[in-house]
Amino acid sequence: MGESGETADNSYVIRPNFQHKFKPAAVKERIHQVLKEELASNDPEQVPALTRALSETIKDKLKEMGYDRYKLVVQVVIGEQRGEGVKMAARCFWDADTDSYAQGIYMNDSLFCVAAAFGCFYY
Amino acid sequence: MDEQSAEETAFVVDDVSNIIKDAVESTIGSSAYQHNRVNHPVETSLNQLTKLGKPFKYIVTCVILQKNGAGLHTASSCFWDNTVDGSCTVRWENKTMYCIVSIFGLAL
Repeated sequence: MGESGETADNSYVIRPNFQHKFKPAAVKERIHQVLKEELASNDPEQVPALTRALSETIKDKLKEMGYDRYKLVVQVVIGEQRGEGVKMAARCFWDADTDSYAQGIYMNDSLFCVAAAFGCFYY
Repeated sequence: MDEQSAEETAFVVDDVSNIIKDAVESTIGSSAYQHNRVNHPVETSLNQLTKLGKPFKYIVTCVILQKNGAGLHTASSCFWDNTVDGSCTVRWENKTMYCIVSIFGLAL
């Protein structure tokens, strides 16, 4: 248990300290950045692949932000703008002290995009 | 004994998808599109899931889309432990709307 250099040693951390907590505001900023970059030029044929690529990109960016004790779930919804009504809701059953979420919305003339990122601390 | 406890604490996709289907049908059923009703299936399915008593954290999201001929795509990407965590997505529709419910279960 914790002998070799390969396996991670126990850190005995059961709660993230403030620096390490999932920060919704910072994550929201990052999501907005990614959405603006990726959706500035869009092609209707590529939307399925774009949706998947976007969720992978956002997840990778979040990993870079250093939330290594966190399990991440990123969900991206892209739809055509045709005047239809859409509503998205989420409910979570978790530890409100350590876990949080952030969302970003991007709209242009032809499409709208909602990205939600959830982070759950792994005890 | 170990196998039994492993099964009980794994994310069982079939059970979860049945729970979601029942929750959606009982809450929005065959009614017309009303955007303020999206919360009901989410809360009901979350309540049913927590009653299962498994050591999981749950994230439930629901998208309700009016039927208008428009297209919609959803994708999700997760950074977790594949052996114990799981997700399940249920698509449901009636005459006026589509309802897509996604459940992510993260083991403790």
